[in-house]
Amino acid sequence: MLLDEKLFDKFGVEYEPNDIIFCEFEPGNDFYFIQSGRVEIVKIINNREKTLDILGPGDVFGEMAILEEEPRSASAIAIDHVKLLRFRRENFDALLQGNPQLAYKLLVIFSKRIYDAKRRLMILLLDDPQLKVMDVMNMLAEQDPHLDVQEPVTLRVTVQEIANWAGMQINDVQKILTHLNKLGKIELFNDRVVVRNIRDFQRLVNSRRKSMYA
Amino acid sequence: MSNGSPTQGITTRTYKPGSIVYFENDKSENIYILKSGLIILTSQKLETGEEVKEEVRPGEFFGVKSALGRYPREETAQVIKESVVLVLTLADFERLILKNVNVVLKMLRIFSNQLRRIGRAVREVLGETSTINPEEELFKIGEYYYRAGRFNQARYAYNKYLDYYPNAKYSDLATKRIREIDSGQAESNIAPQPVKRKEVETSTEELKDFTLDDDIDSMPAKESVVDEMDDFLGENDSASSDFDIADESPKHEDISSLFYDAMSFYSQSEYESALQIYKKILNQKALKNDAENKIYQKAHFEIGRTYFKMGQYNEAIEAFSLLMKKFPQSELNVNALYHLAMIYEVKKQFDKAKSYYQKVISLAAKEEIGKQASRRLKNLESR
Repeated sequence: MLLDEKLFDKFGVEYEPNDIIFCEFEPGNDFYFIQSGRVEIVKIINNREKTLDILGPGDVFGEMAILEEEPRSASAIAIDHVKLLRFRRENFDALLQGNPQLAYKLLVIFSKRIYDAKRRLMILLLDDPQLKVMDVMNMLAEQDPHLDVQEPVTLRVTVQEIANWAGMQINDVQKILTHLNKLGKIELFNDRVVVRNIRDFQRLVNSRRKSMYA
Repeated sequence: MSNGSPTQGITTRTYKPGSIVYFENDKSENIYILKSGLIILTSQKLETGEEVKEEVRPGEFFGVKSALGRYPREETAQVIKESVVLVLTLADFERLILKNVNVVLKMLRIFSNQLRRIGRAVREVLGETSTINPEEELFKIGEYYYRAGRFNQARYAYNKYLDYYPNAKYSDLATKRIREIDSGQAESNIAPQPVKRKEVETSTEELKDFTLDDDIDSMPAKESVVDEMDDFLGENDSASSDFDIADESPKHEDISSLFYDAMSFYSQSEYESALQIYKKILNQKALKNDAENKIYQKAHFEIGRTYFKMGQYNEAIEAFSLLMKKFPQSELNVNALYHLAMIYEVKKQFDKAKSYYQKVISLAAKEEIGKQASRRLKNLESR
């Protein structure tokens, strides 16, 4: 989906490679639509820059600014020479009236966001650290609908990421992973975890969830 | 129960009271509009497990979010009064609402409210409500890029900091940094004394365990790499607690107190100041005794370690090489070799890195440093 050329005259902005479009923790009012070029979304976690996503033409970013004025949760950096449409919260309605495609796209993005946030909340609400770690793996497995849960599943994830999802200290997560590894439930690699039987984890988490509410 | 009558691909179904349109956890890409009747959506509150019931009125959509987001249904849709329902595929839905943007806007508003509510709940569970100070964090982003030598990005963050917080804690420092960048001075002193970054420092220490997150590709990992090394320098670990923070240069030239002053600067990440004192120690000619001789050797090592921490790898290599040349028997050399290996790993000269790790292993196979070296070597070889 590409938007009307006329919009570019009004809302167009251009960036050179490596330019910051917006920066983590900066207050944000605008959201962006990519006309051409690529944009990298990065976050500095524990003194390392991590790439969260690479976006291209047709993609939207910074859309959380539509909701409320909160600091940006990540930085956006131009990879190539980038042409963007920049929209302010104030003229959001007018913009969408003229561009129903964009409205639809946002609807899809928000649906996914809501689910991801809910899913994460479900993990955080578990009262047992080991189950939290397991449920992060369940969640990651759910994200790939083609995964065969009868077989061992490979999840591309680091300890740091699991700790972020579970809202836990990395050391605690490490201990639990080491333990699960010793029990033969998982295998640990530098960049991935292999879970022998993910249905096992699902069962454990589900039964705890039921008893939590009982 | 259903009497499909396709109109533009959209089908109509009639449901009897008590029947179910879909169950929680069902997967489907259908979206529904209630034409007439009454349907109740039943879900559970995440926090309490409490049942939540929501009425669908004629003219309203249901099943939208899970179909659009392609995830399992989060609620069960049960028919209360005989109902007529329009069943839309995703394509139907898209076609339909593109003609009626107001519907989308209304949905977006509902969705964004929900998202906001869940976001709040997540932050509450994490206890994050008050801990993050965006002002300080924004400045730290500038510092990160500054030390990484990515000056344009650093300048952007500093400028934004000054825009939003013109008279705040780090305004002067941000101004100074921009000046350093613009004058080209920053180039020559990448990674001068970073502001004390308590939270960041403690959290990088948590990376000590590196079975999984030891991803050299995503360098700069130098922080975490260096922190591993602190394990081998037990006595230095206590530096921050044992020694008072010295604001001024030492008054007397006692070599051991010089050394501890330098360590104290080092532990506060004031690397330039630490380096100055270490270099002063290197200039001492008359060493009184064995103890002083040891400190003298150690200062050589520490210069290398400090440059390493600053990301000035060539200087670090030079310092470690000098140590090994001047004191071929020094017990610090194993650690120096380990550092050289890490430097070459960061510089992506993997063959050199491997051969240095091998040297460490051959010298100290049984010790912790040897074990770490073999772990890192294995890591490199599995690339």
